Amino acid sequence: MREGVVGGGTLPLTLPWGARAPAQKALRWRSVKLTSARQWWCFSEMKYIKCFISEIPWNYSWYYSAMSLVESQSEDRQSEEQVRYLQANSRELNSTFGYPNNTIKTSRYSVFNFLPLNLFEQFQRLANAYFLILLFLQLIPQISSLAWYTTVIPLMVVLSITAVKDAIDDVKRHQNDNHVNNRSVLVVMNGRIKEDKWMNIQVGDIIKLKNNQPVTADVLLLSSSEPYGLTYIETAELDGETNLKVKQSISVTSNLEDNLGLLSSFDGKVRCESPNNKLDKFTGILTFKGKNYTLDHDKLLLRGCIIRNTDWCYGLVIYTGPDTKLMQNCGKSTFKRTHMDHLLNVLVLWIFLFLGGMCFILAIGHGIWENKKGYYFQDFLPWEEYVSSSVVSAILTFWSYFIILNTMVPISLYVSVEIIRLGNSCYINWDRKMYYAPKNTPAQARTTTLNEELGQVKYVFSDKTGTLTQNIMIFNKCSINGIIYGYGYDKNGQRVEVSEETEKVDFSYNKLADPKFSFYDNTLVEAMKKGDHWVHLFFLSLSLCHTVMSEEKVEGKLVYQAQSPDEGALVTAARNFGFVFRSRTSETIMVVEMGETKVYQLLAILDFSNVRKRMSVIVRTPEDRVMLFCKGADTILCQLLHPSCRSLRDVTMEHLDDFAFEGLRTLMVAYREVDNAFYQAWSKKHSEACLSLENREDKISDVYREMEKDLMLLGATAIEDKLQDGVPETITTLNKAKIKIWVLTGDKQETAVNIAYACNIFEEEMDGIFIVEGKNDETVRQELRLARKKMKPESLLESDPVNTYLNTKPQMPFRIPEEAYALEGNLELELLRTVCMCKGVICCRMTPLQKAQVVELMKRYKEVVTLAIGDGANDVSMIKAAHIGVGITGQEGMQAMLNSDYAISQFCYLQRLLLVHGRWSYNRMCKFLSYFFYKNFAFTLMHFWYAFFSGFSAQTVYDTWFITFYNLVYTSLPVLSLSLFDQDVNETWSLRFPELYDPGQHNLYFNKKEFVKCLVRGIYSSFVLFFIPMKTIHNSVHSDGKEISDYQSFSLLVQTALLCVVTVQIALDTTYWTLISHIFTWGSLGFYFCILFLLYSDGLCLMFPNVFQFLGVARNTLNLPQMWLIIILSVVLCILPVIGYRFLKPLFWPADVDKIMNRIHLWTRHPLLPPTQTKLRHTRPRRSAYAFSHKQGFGALITSGKTMKDKVFKKNSFSFKK
Amino acid sequence: MKRTSEESQSRLPDNSALKQQQLPAYWLQLTATGVLSGFFATGVFCLGVGIILILSAKSIKEIEIKYTKICGNCAKLREDATNFDKECTCSIPFYLSETMQGNVYMYYKLYGFYQNLYRYILSRSNSQLMGTDLKDVGTCAPFSKSHDGTPIAPCGAIANSIFNDTIILSYNLNSSIPIEVPMLRSGITWWTDKYVKFRNPRSKNLSIAFAGTTKPPSWAKPVYELDQEDPENNGFLNDDFIVWMRAAAFPTFKKLYRRLNRIQYFTEGLPAGLAYTVTGAVTWLAFFSMMAIHLMLKDRKMFFTEQ
Repeated sequence: MREGVVGGGTLPLTLPWGARAPAQKALRWRSVKLTSARQWWCFSEMKYIKCFISEIPWNYSWYYSAMSLVESQSEDRQSEEQVRYLQANSRELNSTFGYPNNTIKTSRYSVFNFLPLNLFEQFQRLANAYFLILLFLQLIPQISSLAWYTTVIPLMVVLSITAVKDAIDDVKRHQNDNHVNNRSVLVVMNGRIKEDKWMNIQVGDIIKLKNNQPVTADVLLLSSSEPYGLTYIETAELDGETNLKVKQSISVTSNLEDNLGLLSSFDGKVRCESPNNKLDKFTGILTFKGKNYTLDHDKLLLRGCIIRNTDWCYGLVIYTGPDTKLMQNCGKSTFKRTHMDHLLNVLVLWIFLFLGGMCFILAIGHGIWENKKGYYFQDFLPWEEYVSSSVVSAILTFWSYFIILNTMVPISLYVSVEIIRLGNSCYINWDRKMYYAPKNTPAQARTTTLNEELGQVKYVFSDKTGTLTQNIMIFNKCSINGIIYGYGYDKNGQRVEVSEETEKVDFSYNKLADPKFSFYDNTLVEAMKKGDHWVHLFFLSLSLCHTVMSEEKVEGKLVYQAQSPDEGALVTAARNFGFVFRSRTSETIMVVEMGETKVYQLLAILDFSNVRKRMSVIVRTPEDRVMLFCKGADTILCQLLHPSCRSLRDVTMEHLDDFAFEGLRTLMVAYREVDNAFYQAWSKKHSEACLSLENREDKISDVYREMEKDLMLLGATAIEDKLQDGVPETITTLNKAKIKIWVLTGDKQETAVNIAYACNIFEEEMDGIFIVEGKNDETVRQELRLARKKMKPESLLESDPVNTYLNTKPQMPFRIPEEAYALEGNLELELLRTVCMCKGVICCRMTPLQKAQVVELMKRYKEVVTLAIGDGANDVSMIKAAHIGVGITGQEGMQAMLNSDYAISQFCYLQRLLLVHGRWSYNRMCKFLSYFFYKNFAFTLMHFWYAFFSGFSAQTVYDTWFITFYNLVYTSLPVLSLSLFDQDVNETWSLRFPELYDPGQHNLYFNKKEFVKCLVRGIYSSFVLFFIPMKTIHNSVHSDGKEISDYQSFSLLVQTALLCVVTVQIALDTTYWTLISHIFTWGSLGFYFCILFLLYSDGLCLMFPNVFQFLGVARNTLNLPQMWLIIILSVVLCILPVIGYRFLKPLFWPADVDKIMNRIHLWTRHPLLPPTQTKLRHTRPRRSAYAFSHKQGFGALITSGKTMKDKVFKKNSFSFKK
Repeated sequence: MKRTSEESQSRLPDNSALKQQQLPAYWLQLTATGVLSGFFATGVFCLGVGIILILSAKSIKEIEIKYTKICGNCAKLREDATNFDKECTCSIPFYLSETMQGNVYMYYKLYGFYQNLYRYILSRSNSQLMGTDLKDVGTCAPFSKSHDGTPIAPCGAIANSIFNDTIILSYNLNSSIPIEVPMLRSGITWWTDKYVKFRNPRSKNLSIAFAGTTKPPSWAKPVYELDQEDPENNGFLNDDFIVWMRAAAFPTFKKLYRRLNRIQYFTEGLPAGLAYTVTGAVTWLAFFSMMAIHLMLKDRKMFFTEQ
């Protein structure tokens, strides 16, 4: 059973800026609605359908809104500061406002407040607080039944371990802070440039930033090396987008340029809003020379950005240190807790109740005993003065037993759990098989508290771009004039699969070629060299028809700044084949054609839009011909072709089908030669349309349509949207582990579906795909119901899966309430019911917030562990919302990684993270918990039995030192080695049999039932361990006639037997016996005897006779044959039932896991039978994906000439709308 | 704000077996052969031990004589606390059907005496008993000091409630003249107790050493006069005292009282067929519980049942 999903990564970030505030407001409103709890009944899962939810993309404000959703309203901090005033170059004035300097502080403690603060934090934990209370109880002499050190020593150890861990963490933070704070930056001071540390920067300073430098604080851009005060920045660290963004200073300051005199005398006053965490919002007013200039976020360089393509720029510091938008945003990280933590809390509560019950019983027993016997025993032991009656005594005894039985609540439980999780996290960091060499990044466990949850994941929500795919587009094949190019051929001319060994095409003839580009079909190069007219024209069109910018820092080394990776791939291909796009101005494009430089005059760019699905350029060739080159979606372009190329079109369409079959993204390329006069007329119409005030968009597209017709087909391109390595295999494996994978993408439905098929989320044998794309409540509901109706009868037949697409038809961008209705209100339940029956789900057109909503929906209504994986900033909200967030460290910056719990560099590592590390962590944690509770029950309940023979007087069975050390020393190491090293099967098997993952998903290994089992086992063991020694010694004597039934011998006997039993028990639990396990397990037992002889030695006991009272007991008792027979008998009686149960259970009531384990054991014993792994079939659907940038291009910007460094261009391009 | 520094060196994790979780190891599996053979091996082992134990237990002879009722008049006398120092004697004749060969030990056994009560067991001062600091009675409540504030030696509830019946075993060789069976009162304590844990204060004269302290309230004589026959057996080093101070784990317990001195008629053990008399000189202390004389031959081991 499997599911499918398609996902989408980045959302357009280059749309015109502005008008985002309403969107944000609306989003927040929706988040409130989402959190309102709703009655929900869980639908039984019939998972045979694939769903698509496709929604409209927001413009790019999503990320920030998502942030503000997750990081619950944190902007109240600066309530006192309403408006910020500052003046440039005037430290005196600015200092009166008391703005912080640019120091950042992420550390929590200082040397002085570490101890009190850390202790305070630690005692906020239930268990620690409990033991502190216990300590105070022990100090009351009337009820103290244990020496004070039995509690103090473990508590101290536990507290200090945690404190040391916190301290180490904080030292790291301090170092980080220091590193950042001590970076140097150039400051303008009194007409000179001075170097200073980051932390000394203050509000109102003017600083100089150079290319590739990170921005020091939030600064107002004053001037830059680029024309019009433009500055390019990369915001990868802020929002994860790697594409460049442009900031522009206001003209009055851009005139300051790099004139230091002017800059240092600049005394503009800024009045702006108080610090807040809205990355896309800034309003302020600059007053300079008596004039007011409005400022918006377009003029603000935020801390964390990196200056690109700009030699230098100057900025006025507005917000510093903690006030910067970056710091305002990264403060609160939601602390995730695992299901296990919650379970533990419940269990500790149970234990409390159990403890209270026992104390109550014992107190009553004491009352009765005092009445019947104790009263008469007063001859020998008078009651204390404050004990007036047996009732008083019983009440005091209740508390005494409360102290004695405190070990029921294991003090070292939490600290041990933390150590185990830390250790298992380290394994993730250390795993070489999750190390990605090309990027030099190992996997990283950024959170050390979620490990076992990795072994319980049921739903994986995945992003598409950058997660499933590499977000690298590769020019793979093309069809030119009816001939297909791009297949690999061997020497005999036979078509072969392209592999690593296939010989690449040699591009050495072209000095400007990109060395990273690879192509396998030599015939195309030959055609190129032969001078095939169509091939030349084809590549010419590719090198002209785009909005790519080029950068040539070193002669011959071109770097393309492509706005979509598809375009970059096409231009790079043209470049390698000999049509090198070298540079552009607003009116020309320089192309090196087979070594010959030609300049084309750029007449117009008919830019891309979502509706048009094509783009064209009109150029005047050096031969003075006017040409139009067009590329676009096949569906659109076909209708625009000249009738004369119908036969070519048919051939090309066949090729397109082939390409689509291989999962390639296709584009058609066409051209048209335009009559000069026709162009002149059209140009006039065009400028008229551009200037018109009404219906400008419509008019322009009409004009465009007029030009883009009667096109001559050149061919088609096929671009491979490269899947990451091993994605289909990973998904198949995860599906076998019954992990459902949903793809949540901002991308379009076609692309998403295509990828879903490519990576096995959807399979060919799944029939019936439901696409839900209703426009309002009613239609969506009907579609969902219909889908369910369709699935239900078929769901009875396991072999007949049904697919569904859930697709909400895109609406207008700003009509928010309607748009997200599938996630809203009563439809939530409808959606969930339907979706849970599906095998694969793809949600398209998701905004980041909606991604988070889907995850929240799942989290809220289903008791399952969810995992979200993504690489971009648009996945942050989803990563934070899910139980486990996994970030892919990839091309899209660090945002996802910084917010994730685990960071891996390839999607395929997910299977290792879950099936190997997660599974082990879960199994280890469960084994650890069952054993831990068991050993404490067995240990503590002994006091309960002894109470019946010691007049319920709160007498302990053991020596107080044994109580002190039992959890801390004697039994801690074996259980640690178990929970750090144990493996039930090795990694190969866990990957080969993903079904082994199943118990974790249902939490079979440690739940309330297992806990009760531990309790019963503990009761049984303590019963055996108490009564066997008791009955044995009560009438037996040493060979020299000395009786052995004294209290101290009995204590020793019982505690030794107990330790042997729990050691053998853990030996039985350990399946993977490393040398360390041996040393820890048997070493601990040996260590116990060493300590025993030390504690009971003459020297120590004589030095502190009232603390160490067991002088000589070890010597006198350990040589008794009775002693060893008791130990053997107790061990046998305690362990035999456990072995029997473990041995017989898989025989008579085998679970699925047991059967697999059996097979594995069989195979390991007879390695001749190699397990067969079915090879993955790579069948692709005939599904064409129009893949083109869904963002509007740079077209307008290019023609406006703004980006050109050449200052000669007229400034009239200012008409460009912002 | 954390930026990964430009790493020039590789961040490839170490290839150690520990870090890669590939430590050489043995996989423990519960196989049918392993489990079943383990079961049977354990069974055979337990059976063997059981048989040995049964056999050895059979060779042990034990007689238990309860004298609580027979000496009931003494018990009655003790009910009045003021009579605590009055002597009361009673005799119990019994007949030994078989010879008790080898070492013979005499025990006293108490039923329902809670030596293991929390407060009781703490009520002693080990530093006092070590002879180092006689006045250290801090842990001895409620018997730490007498009314006038003098520290008690030995202090505490355990010492105060010492078992102090005198039991004499006589052997009626002829019907007329009973011979007192020679008994050893030494060698009934742990070596560590007698020579390490319990020490008298260093002084030639014990009575001087214990000056400044007073006897426990229930005692008739001070601690340095416990054994009038053997001056070495006085003070904290008195064997009976040491035995009593080792508190029992359960309310029913027995403690070693005397060993048979195998001389004269008794080199082989206690001869059979003749009448013995036990004379209990219930001198200092009495209580509601029963007493017994427990004579036994060889040591008796626990009885191991085959599970």
